[in-house]
Amino acid sequence: MPIKSTLRRFSPVKTVIHAGVLALLLCAPIPVFAQAMEGGEQLFQTHCARCHGILGEGGEGPSLKRPQLNHAADDTALLTVITGGIPGTGMPGSWMLSAADAQQLVTYVRALGELPDEPMPGDPAAGEIVYDAAGNCASCHILNGIGEGIGPQLNGVGARRNAEYLRRSVTSPEVEQPKVVDRFRGTLNAFLTVRIVSEYGSYEGMRVNEDAFTVQMRDLAGDFYSFEKAELISYDKAFGHSFMPGYASVLSETQIDDVVSYLMTLRD
Amino acid sequence: MKYLENVRTNTGFSVLARWCSFCLIVGSLQFSPALADTPYEDLLADEENGADWLSYSGGYQSHRFSPLNQINSANIDQLKVLWAYQMQPTSISGAGLQETTAVVADEVMYLTESPSSVTALDVRSGNLLWHWSPDLSNEVLNIGFPRINRGVAVLNDKVYVATLDARLFALDAGTGAVRWETQVAENSLGFSLTLAPLALDGKIIVGVSGAEAGVRAFVDAYDAETGEQLWRTFTVPAPGEPGSDTWQGDDWQTGGGSTWLTGSFDPELDLLYWTTGNPAPDWNGDLRPGDNLFTCSVLALDPDTGEMRWHFQYTPHDTHDWDANQIPVLIDAEFEGQQRKLLALANRNAFYYLLDRETGEFLLGEEYSYQTWAEGIDDNGRPIVIPNSEPSREGNLVWPSLQGATNWFSPSYNPQTEQFFVANRRMGAIYFKADAEYQPGQPFLGGGEQALDGDQASGAVIALDAMTSEQQWEFELLTPPWSGVMATAGGLVFGSSNEGQFFALDAASGNPVWNFNTGSHIRTNPMGFAVDGNQRVVIIGGQTLFVFGLE
Repeated sequence: MPIKSTLRRFSPVKTVIHAGVLALLLCAPIPVFAQAMEGGEQLFQTHCARCHGILGEGGEGPSLKRPQLNHAADDTALLTVITGGIPGTGMPGSWMLSAADAQQLVTYVRALGELPDEPMPGDPAAGEIVYDAAGNCASCHILNGIGEGIGPQLNGVGARRNAEYLRRSVTSPEVEQPKVVDRFRGTLNAFLTVRIVSEYGSYEGMRVNEDAFTVQMRDLAGDFYSFEKAELISYDKAFGHSFMPGYASVLSETQIDDVVSYLMTLRD
Repeated sequence: MKYLENVRTNTGFSVLARWCSFCLIVGSLQFSPALADTPYEDLLADEENGADWLSYSGGYQSHRFSPLNQINSANIDQLKVLWAYQMQPTSISGAGLQETTAVVADEVMYLTESPSSVTALDVRSGNLLWHWSPDLSNEVLNIGFPRINRGVAVLNDKVYVATLDARLFALDAGTGAVRWETQVAENSLGFSLTLAPLALDGKIIVGVSGAEAGVRAFVDAYDAETGEQLWRTFTVPAPGEPGSDTWQGDDWQTGGGSTWLTGSFDPELDLLYWTTGNPAPDWNGDLRPGDNLFTCSVLALDPDTGEMRWHFQYTPHDTHDWDANQIPVLIDAEFEGQQRKLLALANRNAFYYLLDRETGEFLLGEEYSYQTWAEGIDDNGRPIVIPNSEPSREGNLVWPSLQGATNWFSPSYNPQTEQFFVANRRMGAIYFKADAEYQPGQPFLGGGEQALDGDQASGAVIALDAMTSEQQWEFELLTPPWSGVMATAGGLVFGSSNEGQFFALDAASGNPVWNFNTGSHIRTNPMGFAVDGNQRVVIIGGQTLFVFGLE
């Protein structure tokens, strides 16, 4: 049995992996328990936390700490989801809630995923130039259909991430990486660096899937590999490593402020 | 007759030969399912009879062990899918999770589909014989668990199914027509039934879910012929009853102690063993001071009266939602030089226990999975709790997570090798304590958890020496599993993963010898049977039931 098998070479721009199963959910780490939320918080803990996690970060149900919810485009739709459930999914209807309580929950759930208004640290127009030129960000990221798909797509990243997260991603991307939330498997690192040695050579790339028997990897050239674990010489998961270099030594402080500001404008 | 030509000489097929002789006498049934008739005597011999699988755990001892050895490591590379059945979730099936264990009786397979439907299939072809669905409202409550069902019971000419809205139905095994139904409890209070009922001699035993809604749970027995309630034993005592001194005030009225997983039965001791779940509210123990008997326990009940003969509480005053609703496995073996009747249980709290099932005496309690809440189990079977391991307002990281080191999915015991196999979840969680106020039919939780990332968790199938709990081997899984295991006399252990593989391990070494990608998560238990003398192995991946065989 061949240990290394290049499955197929895709153009990185067209790469879509398990779109239905492993939907990428880029979660925003923001504090949620504001004072005004007490009633909503209590209701959330009672009715929602069992599946969505007490912090709303997901569990058997998906994370709610994101600005757009798949089944609830607006507050009216969210109210319908909370009271009526989503047929064909694990989301039950909490039809026993009073109208006031249901509305409190809508407000609370929305706040979980909303970013507070923050001042921009720099000039977004200058940041766009940094993105294209000095940062050469499109060599690894797809934005509005343009660029290479090595790292995460950046459409709408300004709605998902606050300024602090964006700055950290530019300067120290290894600290926190985007995650995949899977209903059955939990929250997994979506860009985990893996290093694999087989009798055919050494391989390094990002894990795209894994099970007890096999691991699938994509290297920086966009090639997919699939390995039988039992036949490997070594297999390492490099937690805390990112293929994205830190830009603190590449960009000036002003350029970092500007590119963070530009990313903050990417709301759709 | 054609079947007889194919009957193997393996021990496990002797009962099949007997049944085929019976079919021969009855005649004219050669290629169609035989008469639907499962007398109590057959249930007593369920495990020895490898051809059928007549109850949830494959026998009253709950070994989930197949005595068939036709499939083994020498030929398993030839194992293939012979047929599949695709379930049909409806708009009230919720997430469409399928947790049923099929039963096979007289060449008919009976399985349930979420939320509470029953399907009968021809075991040779998978062709539908009948399908039955109860009239469920989409507003049915399922508080604290998904809209699932774990299977049926069969007895004589009837098939029994418990429903999400807390009813119990007896169906005609030949047609699916309703013989009787009874309302076990009020769904509007949060009661549901998701378990496979247990059929005894003339009785059907069921338990309830609902501790996350603050119910006061019970075990019930019903007359198998009429549906008349024979007895009810509450798992939380009323004031003045034994165990009531472990509760304060009115806490008992909303005390929980659900009975949501099928129990076991010892016909010689005439004792029924049933496990109980968490006290309510789950995570805020301040609201219910005391040990909270008989939650997180195993109960030994008189099957004729429901009277409690003994109890053993695994986790007194639980605050992590570590239900003891795991399968109580009945083992007859030599423990520390003495032949004993034992009850083994790998608990959600990460400890493996052996009890004397005649008396309830505690014999052994050892950690089988990483945990951070107890230093060990003392000589009386009580955990030595590590201070500050309870949920807190700020959050407190404790192993295992609320879903435990294992859960409802079944372990397996091989009586030939005295090995105990467990599907093991290895995951921690940050536990939070919060306020809770009881309101009928609403969640009553008092906190919750945020589980650690999947990359900080894993799973395994582990093999323990059933008499000592010593781990013999482990087969690691990427993520904490939601599916059980089945050992066979062919020296194999079948298991599955969230990633969708159905696999076989060598029981002696734990080495994988075969695996099959079902294409979806697996969230049920393997089972096995035989037809025309040929061994079959069954799993459900996603919505599809697969039947495997060599030929």
